[in-house]
Amino acid sequence: MRRNRPRSTKLVIGIITAGSLLLLASDNPPARIPSYVAWTQETFVAISQGDAFRGMLLARHCDHCHGAEGFTTIGSTPNLARMGKLAVWKQLEDFRTHKRQARPMNAIAESLSSRDVADLVAYYAKLPAFNDPEDKRVFPQSQPDPVHSAMVSRLISFGDGERGIPPCQACHGPVAYRPGAPWLANQNAEYLLNELEAFATGSRANDINMPMRTIAALLTEEERKALAQYYGSGLGLEPAGEK
Amino acid sequence: MNWRKLRTVVLTVLALCLIPATRYYQIDVPLLRFLQGPRHVDPLLLHLSGEFVENNLGTEQEPNGSVTVRMIAQQYLFVPHCILVPAGVPVHLRITSADAVHSLTFDGTDYAVKVLPGTISEARLEFPRPGEYKMPCREFCGAGHYAMRSELKVVPRDQFPALRPQERGSCATQ
Repeated sequence: MRRNRPRSTKLVIGIITAGSLLLLASDNPPARIPSYVAWTQETFVAISQGDAFRGMLLARHCDHCHGAEGFTTIGSTPNLARMGKLAVWKQLEDFRTHKRQARPMNAIAESLSSRDVADLVAYYAKLPAFNDPEDKRVFPQSQPDPVHSAMVSRLISFGDGERGIPPCQACHGPVAYRPGAPWLANQNAEYLLNELEAFATGSRANDINMPMRTIAALLTEEERKALAQYYGSGLGLEPAGEK
Repeated sequence: MNWRKLRTVVLTVLALCLIPATRYYQIDVPLLRFLQGPRHVDPLLLHLSGEFVENNLGTEQEPNGSVTVRMIAQQYLFVPHCILVPAGVPVHLRITSADAVHSLTFDGTDYAVKVLPGTISEARLEFPRPGEYKMPCREFCGAGHYAMRSELKVVPRDQFPALRPQERGSCATQ
């Protein structure tokens, strides 16, 4: 009798433990994390504390590829003038953590401190993005494509409801913005096309919750080219649409 | 042997086995809901850990034959963009929002699921016949709301691919 009781108690405890382990056991696969950046309040505070003057001094190291005033002549390198603080900060963070792969940028981002990054993004966000005859910035680099202009302005202003493609300007401006979405007007066409292709094939996969991978894969090759041409030819400062 | 004690033990064991069974057969018992995983998530941290990381989105095959579909609604997309489910099988939908309030509806059916940031919305659906359904957002969520639409493909049960436990199915172009 005496021996029986502890045994049954043990049995019950064992079953409760096994049952709760079964319930807690998570059968989810290991997480694939696109980017360690999260748009929390702390992130916004860290980004907003940059000193643009110190950033200007630091940016002299970036001039060789990204151009002296934020406009570059190398088509496959992005222009950084007027680029949103959040966008540049996120990409530098993703380069540092190897969530986005680009040959020189991974090593460069690793060498920057968090204060350097905040200063740099503050400087580039202050640079003007329009052509100024006084300075020697070269822009635009490509001519607008008249054949696709109607299709492109429809995609940018309305998207394509049938296929579920949202309008570009609802996140990339100037109509509305999303944290981390870069400013596209005055961007290099070649760079934009490269990135759209990389998103479509999944070789670039650092967009949080996969918006760009989904949209780039839904666009046809012709549309990707036409969109890159449109933004690369200096348009996109004004909202697109039927005039 | 004390038969009374034995009976108590056997009954206790059977009663305790019912708890994992409700989870296995996906029976909704209001008193046991606290055991069925969290219902609240941080909308800003969905991609870092937990149920809604990107490789856990899509259709999951449950051992009892039903499927679980996990989705994120965000401005202005549902992810994954194309959902694949078998016909005539209970579909357990779990969806949350990364930003604004959205509403997932299935054209041609009465189903509508309100999606709020921070909360996991659940729905139990069933699609008896194969076909394609458009899934537009019916809650104004911002400048791109009118283009926010994804697709549901219901395929015959024998055409639905056999998914491994770690695998998630979808028909999105990737």
